Amino acid sequence: MTRITLTVNGRKHVVEAEPRRLLADVLREDCGLTGVHIGCAHGACGCCTVHVDGSPRLSCLTFAVQMDGRAIRTVEDLGGTEATHPLQQAFRRNHALQCGYCTPGFLMALLPFVEAQVSAGQMPDDDEIREAMSGNICRCTGYQGIVEAVRETIGDALAAKTEAAQ
Amino acid sequence: MRPKEFVYHRARDLDHALALLAEHGEEARPISGGQSLVPMMNLRLARPDHLVDVNDLGLDEIREEAGALHVGAMVRHERYLTDPLIRRHLPALLEAVHWIGHPTIRRNGTLGGSLCHADPTAELPAMAVLHGARIVLASTAGRREVAACDFFKGAYMTDVQPGEMLVSVIFPCPQGAHSGAFEELGERLGDFAMGSFGVVLEHEGGVIRRAATVCGGAKMTPIRLPEIEAALQGQTLAGLDAAALGDRVTGLIAPAGDFQVSAEYRRALIGELAGRALQRARDIALNAQP
Amino acid sequence: MKAETPRQIGARVLRLEDPRLLSGRARYIDDIRPANCLHLKFVRAQVAHARLLDVDTSMLADLEPAVTVFTGKDIGKLSMKSHQDYPEMQYAEQPLLAQGRVRFVGEPIAAVLAEDAYLAEDAAEMVFADFDFLDPVTTMEQALDPAVQPLFDHWKNNTWVERQMKGGDLQAARAAAAHVIRRTYTNQRHTGVPMEGRGVVAEYDPGQRFLTVWSSTQMPHLVRTYIAEELGLPESRIRVIAPDVGGGFGVKGQVFGEEVLVAWCAIQTGRPVKWIEDRRENLMASIHARDHRHTLEAYVSAEGRLLGLKADITVDIGAYSTYPFSAAGESGMAAKVMPGPYDFQAYEATFRSLATNKCPNGTYRGVARPSAVFSQERLMDDIAREIGMDPIAFRLKNIIRTFPYRNVLGFSYDPGSYVESLEKTRELLAPDFARASATAGDPNRRIGVGIACFIEQTAHGTPDFTRRRVPIETGYIAARLEVMTDGHVLIDLGLQNHGQGLETTMAQVASDALGITPDRIYVRHGDTSAPYSVGTWGSRGGPLGGGAVHLAATEIAGKMRAIAAHLLQAPVGSVQLGDNKAFVSDQPDRFVDLAYVARSALRNVDRLPEGMAPGLAAEASVDGPKDGSYSNAVHAAVVDIDLRTGKLKLLRYVVVEDCGTILNPLVVDGQVRGGVVQGIGSALWEHFVYDAEGQPLTTSFADYLMPQAPEIPMIEVHHFETPTSLTPLGAKGLGEGGAIGPPAAIANAVTHALDIGVTGTPLTASVLWHLAKTAREGG
Repeated sequence: MTRITLTVNGRKHVVEAEPRRLLADVLREDCGLTGVHIGCAHGACGCCTVHVDGSPRLSCLTFAVQMDGRAIRTVEDLGGTEATHPLQQAFRRNHALQCGYCTPGFLMALLPFVEAQVSAGQMPDDDEIREAMSGNICRCTGYQGIVEAVRETIGDALAAKTEAAQ
Repeated sequence: MRPKEFVYHRARDLDHALALLAEHGEEARPISGGQSLVPMMNLRLARPDHLVDVNDLGLDEIREEAGALHVGAMVRHERYLTDPLIRRHLPALLEAVHWIGHPTIRRNGTLGGSLCHADPTAELPAMAVLHGARIVLASTAGRREVAACDFFKGAYMTDVQPGEMLVSVIFPCPQGAHSGAFEELGERLGDFAMGSFGVVLEHEGGVIRRAATVCGGAKMTPIRLPEIEAALQGQTLAGLDAAALGDRVTGLIAPAGDFQVSAEYRRALIGELAGRALQRARDIALNAQP
Repeated sequence: MKAETPRQIGARVLRLEDPRLLSGRARYIDDIRPANCLHLKFVRAQVAHARLLDVDTSMLADLEPAVTVFTGKDIGKLSMKSHQDYPEMQYAEQPLLAQGRVRFVGEPIAAVLAEDAYLAEDAAEMVFADFDFLDPVTTMEQALDPAVQPLFDHWKNNTWVERQMKGGDLQAARAAAAHVIRRTYTNQRHTGVPMEGRGVVAEYDPGQRFLTVWSSTQMPHLVRTYIAEELGLPESRIRVIAPDVGGGFGVKGQVFGEEVLVAWCAIQTGRPVKWIEDRRENLMASIHARDHRHTLEAYVSAEGRLLGLKADITVDIGAYSTYPFSAAGESGMAAKVMPGPYDFQAYEATFRSLATNKCPNGTYRGVARPSAVFSQERLMDDIAREIGMDPIAFRLKNIIRTFPYRNVLGFSYDPGSYVESLEKTRELLAPDFARASATAGDPNRRIGVGIACFIEQTAHGTPDFTRRRVPIETGYIAARLEVMTDGHVLIDLGLQNHGQGLETTMAQVASDALGITPDRIYVRHGDTSAPYSVGTWGSRGGPLGGGAVHLAATEIAGKMRAIAAHLLQAPVGSVQLGDNKAFVSDQPDRFVDLAYVARSALRNVDRLPEGMAPGLAAEASVDGPKDGSYSNAVHAAVVDIDLRTGKLKLLRYVVVEDCGTILNPLVVDGQVRGGVVQGIGSALWEHFVYDAEGQPLTTSFADYLMPQAPEIPMIEVHHFETPTSLTPLGAKGLGEGGAIGPPAAIANAVTHALDIGVTGTPLTASVLWHLAKTAREGG
C-alpha cells in the first residue's frame, strides 16, 4: 500500500492504495467520483478522460500512485449537479448525448480544445472538431450533436468576446 | 482487465532510474506516458514486477548539436507539432506525428515509450529508421548508441537489454535544401497503419543529392529501400517520376497479409503511398526553389 | 382544445434526464456498490471446443484473503434454456458454468469471488481447466457437413432448425418470368458494443427472504421471471433494477446466464456479489449478431415487374440458444421480412440456423433486418443493372402503393409514405448523381450513389410471438401513473431508458393528457416495481409505452376534470386541463390548481363529489397490433472511393423516414442518426473474426473497429409523418430503423461507383481495393 495525496476538484484527498490501482478506480471508489467511466480499460475509447494539471489524460492508463501531488479534475467539477457549464448546456441543446456513458469523457477531452480555440479567437471547421474527438467513441449519437455543441460553444464564446471588446 | 501486482519506484533522476533498472533487471520496466505499456499490463500481456517511473527525469529537450537533433526520451508527441527545430529539420516527422493515435495519446505518449514498444507500423520508429537515427541507451555500465535499423528486432522487440533505458534519440539533420513527406493509411484516423511510406530528399540546384526512404508495414520492422534511394540520387526534381518509383517499390517488398488486409493489397497500397509521398516531397522541393 | 398550453407531443423538448448524465451524477451498474460486496471474475474457456475433464481450483485454497470459487460441479442443473417450440428444432441448454464440454472461447467455466476486482482477477488466473480437445466447427460449410460431429451429443447434425415460409404460386411466377436473377449475399458477424458493458450486482436479505438484483439490462421483468423460475424463488420476493444503462442496442435485450449466476452466488455466499464485464469478455462472450448468408432468386417480367422471390437463408447462431428470442429467431425474422416494401405475391423461403463453436448470436438493433434489407436492396439494384433499368425507377415500378396491403405471407401493412419517400430521395440526390457521372470511368477516383428502401415491422405484439412460438411469448408494455398531493406525477413505466429519452417523451405524453407540465412529471423505469412489461427493445417505446402512458393519463385526467367540475361548480364537459390548472372553457379566470385537485383526491377527500372514491392513479397496458405497425424509410449514401488505396469517404448520407406521429423531433433525429452511424460500422468495419481453431481475433478496440467521429459525415434526416391507426398516439417504432439501411445503401453506392455488384460486408479498404481491381480487370 502506498499513501497518495491528490488534489481532486480542488479538494485534497489522501488515499492508501496498491501501486497497481488505476487512477480511474481510485477516483471512482476512493473519491466517489463515479462520473469517471471505464469503457475499455485499454486506452481506446476515451470514456475515462480526466484532467491532470489541466491536461486531458486517460485515467485507465494511469496508475494513481503516479499522480501523487498532482491536481485532477473530473466532470463533476465542470458545472455542478445542474451541469451549468456552457459546453454541458450546448450538449443538452444539441442532443449530443443519449445513454450518457461516454459523455463525461467527451466533455473532458473537448473542453481544452474549445478553450484553446476561443483564446486563439478562431472557429475550427468540422474536420478539426471531429479530429479533436477522435479518441472518444460514442455509440449512440452518431457524433453530429457533439460537433454542433462544440461549434455552438465556441461561437457563443467568440461572440461574447467580440461584444466585450466593443 | 486490471494489472497484476508490481512494486512502484519513482526515480529521482537518471542515475536513480538506472540503479533501479540494474537492480531489478528483466523484472523491471520504465514507465513514462504509459500509453503503450499500461494497455498491455491491463490485459496482463505485460507483467513487470517493478515499474520505474521516469517522469521526473527531465529528458525532454529537443536541441540541435553538430548537425543533429537530440530528442529526449520523454518528449511527448504533441511537442513536435509546435517545435521550430522539428519544423525546420524534420518535416517528414512533423507530418508523421499527425498520424499518431489520438490527441490525448499524443499529449501523453513519449518518444522513448513509442520506440521501445516497437509496434511494426508505428510512426516514430519509422521516422527513426528514415532519418538513420541513433538510439542512445543508458545503463549503470554507461551509454551506447544503436543505429535505428539495428534497434528494432521484430514486432514489439528491440535491442534494449535488461538494465538499459532509452534516454534520447539523435536524428541527423538532412543537409542543405531538403524536403520530406509521409503518407499513411489506416481504416480510421489514428488506427494502426495498414501501410506507410516516408521520404526525405536532399537537393541542390534541382538535383537530388541524397534520398532516404522508409516503408512501414512491409516487414515486422520499418525498412529502408536502398534501391529506391539509389534511383533517386542524382535525379532531377523536375524529372522525377514518382508513380513509376512507387510501382518499383511494390516490386521490392513482400508484406504479409493478416485477417484484415490481404498481402496483395498491402503491397499495392505501400507502392501507392510511396508514389504519393515521393510526389509531394518533389513538389515541396520544387516549390521551395528560388 | 387547451388554447394556452402548447402541445408537448411533437415539440422539440430538451431532455429532462440530461443534467444528471452531463454532470457525472448518473448511476450506472458499476456505481452500485453495496457494503461488504464480493467481486466476481469468470474463468472463461480459452479453447473453442473440448471435453472439460476437470477444473482445478486447488491453488485458491490457501489464498489470503480467502476467495470462493464455483464450478460446473457446484451448480446442479442451473442453465439457460431457450427453445422455440418448432417440431424440427433441436434442443440444447447452456449450463451457467460449463459441465463436461465447452463450446466457444469465452464460455464461463468457473466463478471466482474475492474481496476486490483486482484480487478476483489474480485468483481467476490460478484456475486451470483440463481439456480433451475436439475439432471446432467454425464455418457454415462445416456446420452443414453431415460428417462433422454435432456440438451436442444427442443432436443429429449441427442445425438448430430448418423451416420454410411460403405464400402464392412460385412455380407460376418462375414460368412467367422473362428474367431470373440469382445472387448470394453475406453479412459478417458483429454486434452492438455499448460503451458500458454488462454488469450484475445481487444482494440477498435472508431475513426478508428477498433478492435484489441490479443489472445493466433492457428487460428487468424478464430477468426477474427467469431468476425466479431457475432458482425456485417466489417472484414476489425478487426485485430487478436496471440503473442508468450505458447503451443496449439489443445486446442487453436478453436474459444472460451471468445474471442468474450472480444472484445464485449472492444467496450461496450470504454476501452481495458484483460482476462487471470487462471489454475483452464483452467482445468475445456477451452476444454477437448478424452472420447471415442469403441466396435469393428473383423472377422478373419483361416489363420489370417483380413476380416472385425464392430465398435460402442461413445464419450462424453459434454455440447456444439465447433467451428469449432463441436460436431460431434471427433466421426466421430474415425469412419473414424479406418481401419488404415491394408488391409481389409469390414467395418461398427456406431458413436455417446453424450451431458453431462461436459466441452465441442474439439481437442487435434491427434484428435480421439489416441483413435482409442488405440482400433485398442489393438484389433490387442487381436486377435493375441486369435488365437495364434505373434502380429508383425499378423500385417505383414495384413499390406498394395501396394500403392496407396484405403481403405474400399474409401480413397487413398499415399506411406509409413508400412512394413519397422514394421520390423525395430521388429529388434530393439529383446533384449527387451528376457528381457521380462526372467520375465514371475515372481510373483513380469514383463517386457512387446508392439507396436502400425498406420497411420495418415495429411494435411487435403478442400475436406475432404466438405465431412464431418464441419464448418471449408476449409484447405488451404497461405504465402506472400516480398524481401526488402536490400535483406532481410519478410514472412507473415498464420500459427501460438507455438513451432513448423516455424520461422526456413519456412526460410529454402524460403532460398533454393531464395538463401538467413535464417538469412536474417523474418517469421511473427499469425497475420491476413498475407493472409487468417486456422492456425496451423491438422499437416499442413510443408506440406501446407512449400508448400506455396516454391511456392511464387520460383516465386520471377524466377524474381530475370531474373533481374540478365539482370544485368549480361547472359542468364536467366544460372543464379543461392545462398549465397545471383545471379551468372552465372560455373562462380562463375560473380555474383551480391541479395541486388542489390532487390534494382533494388524496387528503382532503371531504371535498370530493358525493360517492367518489379517493385516489388519483391509473394503470394501463398496450400490446402491439396483430402484425405490428410498419415504419418506412429510404436511406441514401454518396461515396467517394480512391481506387488506388481502397479508401472510402462518405460524402453524404440522407435519410427520408416515416415513423408516424413524432413525439419529439430532437429524440427522433437522434435515434435515426445514431442508428445510421452504427449501420455505417456494419457496412465498413465491424467484424468478429475467428481463426480456423475457433479463436476470436478481435477482442479489443484495436481490432474491432467502430465508427469514430472523423470518418462520419453529417446525417441529413427528412420526415414524412403518416400516423397509424393501430397505436393510441399514431406513433410507429423508430429506434432500430437507422441501423437497418446503411449496409445496403453503402453497398449500392459502391456498386454504382465501381460498376461491380457488391455481395457482402464489411467493405474495408482492402476489400474495396480488390473489388476495384476485379472491376478493372473485367472480372
